[in-house]
Order: sequence, then structure tokens, then C-alpha cells
Amino acid sequence: MITEFTYSLRRYLWQILGWGITFSLVALYLMSLYKPLVEQQAQMLSLLKAYGENFMAFFGGGSDFLSPGGYLDFGFFSYMSVVAGIFAVIFGAGLLVGDEEKGTLDLIMAHPISRTSLFWGRLLAYVVALMGILLLTWVGFALGIPLAGWDINPFVLLLPHLTMLALLLLIGALALFLSFVIPSRTLAVSLSAGLLVASYFVTSLARINNQLKTLNDFSPMKYFQGGSALDGINWQYFLGLLGFTAFFILLAWLLFQRRDIRVGGEGGWTLPKFSWDMMWDWRKWGKKETIAQKTKDD
Amino acid sequence: MEQELSIFTQGLLKSYGNVRALKGVDLEVRQGEIFGFLGPNGAGKTTTIRCFLDLIRPNGGKVKVLGLDPQKEPVAVRARVGYLPGELHFDQNMKVEGILRYFNQLRHAQADWEYVRQLANRLDLDLKMVIKNLSKGNKQKVGVIQALMHKPELLMLDEPTSGLDPLIQQEVLRIIRNARKDGATVFFSSHNLSEVQQIADRVGIIRSGKVVEIAETAMLINRSLRRVYVRFKQAVDGEILARVPGVKLLSQDDGMSLVLQVEGEMDALIKTLSNYPVSDFETEHPSLEEIFLAYYEK
Repeated sequence: MITEFTYSLRRYLWQILGWGITFSLVALYLMSLYKPLVEQQAQMLSLLKAYGENFMAFFGGGSDFLSPGGYLDFGFFSYMSVVAGIFAVIFGAGLLVGDEEKGTLDLIMAHPISRTSLFWGRLLAYVVALMGILLLTWVGFALGIPLAGWDINPFVLLLPHLTMLALLLLIGALALFLSFVIPSRTLAVSLSAGLLVASYFVTSLARINNQLKTLNDFSPMKYFQGGSALDGINWQYFLGLLGFTAFFILLAWLLFQRRDIRVGGEGGWTLPKFSWDMMWDWRKWGKKETIAQKTKDD
Repeated sequence: MEQELSIFTQGLLKSYGNVRALKGVDLEVRQGEIFGFLGPNGAGKTTTIRCFLDLIRPNGGKVKVLGLDPQKEPVAVRARVGYLPGELHFDQNMKVEGILRYFNQLRHAQADWEYVRQLANRLDLDLKMVIKNLSKGNKQKVGVIQALMHKPELLMLDEPTSGLDPLIQQEVLRIIRNARKDGATVFFSSHNLSEVQQIADRVGIIRSGKVVEIAETAMLINRSLRRVYVRFKQAVDGEILARVPGVKLLSQDDGMSLVLQVEGEMDALIKTLSNYPVSDFETEHPSLEEIFLAYYEK
């Protein structure tokens, strides 16, 4: 498991640095803007009022955007959760199926490593990669405290990141699970990303539309605290996210135990290439290459 | 008995949906032999090998590899096997040495690195090269080395010389022979029948998911079809000879020289020929390729 963990972590290194440093710079930039915004508080409030609540709903509501928690939501956590969520989805879905589709998993699994060790080694590397990205992001915020002039313990700033980690783990676990259920990684990524964006919209719009409140109860974004975690973590929400994460991971692990390892994506689905002929013959839609066709090449 | 066999299968079944890839494969590969596994594309060669390593799960039948059940003890089986897949894919961004060291770590550093260097030298492979810059043949060399580097008890090689130039092909065959000399059993599939003929002690022929023949290579060649060239001192009606059981007239130029194909024993033909004035008589063993084709024409 350690070999697979270090191998996978090495593969994530550039991703951790790329995403982490970018987020860190965004955080630092955001913190540097805080003081000027406070100085122009009156103009900012009238500007936000002009945007209207429909618009501000997508940035954490915006009613208290000059408090540290509100500002973090407004400037970062509201939308960056979706951006980082895309990373979580892509790498979650590709954790094992990515290598399977590339054909490299076949040879790796021919070595004396159990499916359990392979699964948990890679998953652990993935979790550490997410933690690394969020840690670098936190460094950006922590370095920016003097620029923003906040009287806050830098370690308290870790709390919103912790809630984001729980959200990203859930999204990644869902993508991992779907990658084993759907015979196409691309489709698993699309579906997971679609659910993430839909969840973002539902939770954002539920702030201004009471009819969405029930639907919002099923949205993971509702349980992501973001900046409001500065006032303390809602442990029910946090553990709820982790609970569902564990559930999807467990399902994925069980599916991987029983899975036939595919070679080079055999039996996978691809979206049909569009042609006018297809419009008239829907039977051409769907599977591009069946396993039967693929096994003819073995 | 099963304990003395390196590979034992009985009624091995594997289906992909409605497609029956293996329809009851029965095989016995003895310890220390080189066993050639022949069959056209889609016959089930790769599917059979992948069942041996628990990469895919059979739907029925019995499998034992080195006396172990691959489904119950996959790690123990893989620890003692060296596998070269037919479709070879590596992590593109790693160096050759990096990928080999990674595989070696998965094997708990079983390999002697000096032996790895020796193999690389013999195959003329630069360990410092990055995988993505390698030609197909050089990638194949990496595959051969990773299969052999820990000196396994059992080698499973799917098309080991595929993509290699003739000189390196011969070197790989020499390495395989050496491995056998050191006590390893070799199970390999190939489309290159002349190389199977060169090194295999026994061959198995698989057709449409079923093993149709297992025999010693030499015996298979001897007992099967033979081509017979006969020259007479005077014209002879070839049709008379064609009536001899097992004899087929292939060509008859001027009645003085005939080309016959004989299946099985030669005795009846020789007795018939003794009635005619024969000036020259020559027989030619068929190549394994001709025998192979004969099986598929049946």
C-alpha cells in the first residue's frame, strides 16, 4: 500500500502545486482587497444592492460580506468550492478507472499487490493531495491576514478549509463510485460535475426561493459551511458529509473487489459522433465498441 | 498430480455479457516446460492468461497456478509469476528505470538490479529514457525486463516478441530459454509460429474459446500433414495414388512428377508406390503454421 501511495502522490505532485499555488495566490489577492473594500464600504453596499439578491445568492448571500466569514464566502468559498470540486471529480473518477482506460492498470495488477492495497493506497494519496491543495490555499489566506488587518488566529482560518475538504471528499467519492458503475470515465466525470453544479445552484437559489428548501436538504452544498465555519464548525453537517463519503467509498471498494479489469477501455462507452445519418437511425447511438468486438482482438 | 503442474485448468468458462469468450478450457502445463499457446485473434488466449492472474474472474471451471487458486490467493500467485501483457501500456512520463523500480517495489524489491542492467544491455535498452519517447519495440523490451527481472517460477508472456526487430527477437528467445534452464516454466502465446516451433516443448491450440489440441511440438509436426514429392521413370496416373487413405493429390505436372499431401502414417502410400518405377522420393514436414492453418480449416 505504501508503494502505491507514494507512486500516486508523486503523480499528483504537479497538480497539488499547480492548483494549490493558484488558489493561494487568489487568496492572497483577495485578502489584499479587503481593506480598500472596507474603506469604500458605502459605495460597495450600494453596488451590491444594485446587483440584487438573485445575483448575490450565488456568492453566499452577501448580506454580511464585510465580516471575515462573509467576505471569505463572497470572494472565495462560494464559487471556488465548485472549481476545486471539478478537480475532485476528475481525479476521483480517474483514481483507478483512469489507469484502466489507459491500459496501465492491467500490468500494475499483475504484480503482487492486492486490490485492497491498491484501492486504499491510491485513495490515501488522493486525500493527501486534496489536503495539500487546501493547505497551500490556507497559507495564502494566513499570509494575507496582515494585509486585511483582521484580528484572527491564522489557525482558525483552517476551519472553512476543513469543511471544504469534507465537501471535496464527498464529491470525489461519488465520482469514484460512479466510475465503477458507468462504463465510461468521461460520463462519470460529467455526471458528478453536473451534480456538483446542480447542487451549487439549488443551494444558492434556496437562499431566495423557499420552494427549493426541501430540495436543498438533499444538496451537499447546503452542508458546506465555507466562511461561516470561522464561528465554529457545525459537526452534524461536517460528519454528515464524511458519512456519505465513507458510504460511497465503501461501495466503490466493494465494486472494485469484484471488478473485471478492462484492457485499454474495452467495453467502454463513448459519446456518438454526430452525423446527419444518425438523426434518422437512433440505433447507431450508444456503445461504440462492444466487449465482443474487443475480445476479437485479444 | 495438480501439484506437479505449473498451470492446471478444467472447464474454464468466461463470458462477457452474451459473448462466451472461454467455453471450457482444459490445460495442463508441466513444471519447467516451455508451452506455446496458439490461436487466432479472439480465440481466447489473452482471456485465459488474464484468468490465471485474477485480472478477470472466470464464470466457471477450475484454475490452479503453481498449485494455488488465483481467486483465493492472487497476491501469492502474482508474486511467483512474471507477466508480459499483449497490450503494453506504461505511465508515459516516467523513465524506464523509474517504472522498473516502481514494479520492483511492488514486488518488495525481489529483483537483483545487476540482473536488470544485464537484461537491458542484452536487449540494448537505455534505462535513462522516458517512456513516452520510446518506440513500440523499446516499450516491449521494458515489458520483457519487468516480467523477467525477479526471476519468476512461471513466466506468462503474451506475444513476447511483438514489435521487436529480428535480432532482438532471437535475444528474447535466448533469454526465455535461459529462464527455463534456470528452472522456470514458460507459458507464452504467439502469432509467430516459427518462434513457437523454435522454443516450445509443447503447444496448445485454442479455437473459439476451447482448446482443440495439446501436443509436443515435434510430435504435432511429425504426425500431421506431410508433403511428398515423387518422381517416376514413366507417367503414372495420380488419381490412383489419391485413392490411398489419407493421401491427397496436390499437383501433377506431366504424370512423371507428383506432389501429394499425406495425413497420418506413410505406410499405405509407400506400399502403393512400390508398384511403380520411382526415381525420386522426398518428404517435407509441414511448418507449425501449416498445421495451425489445417486446424482452422477443419
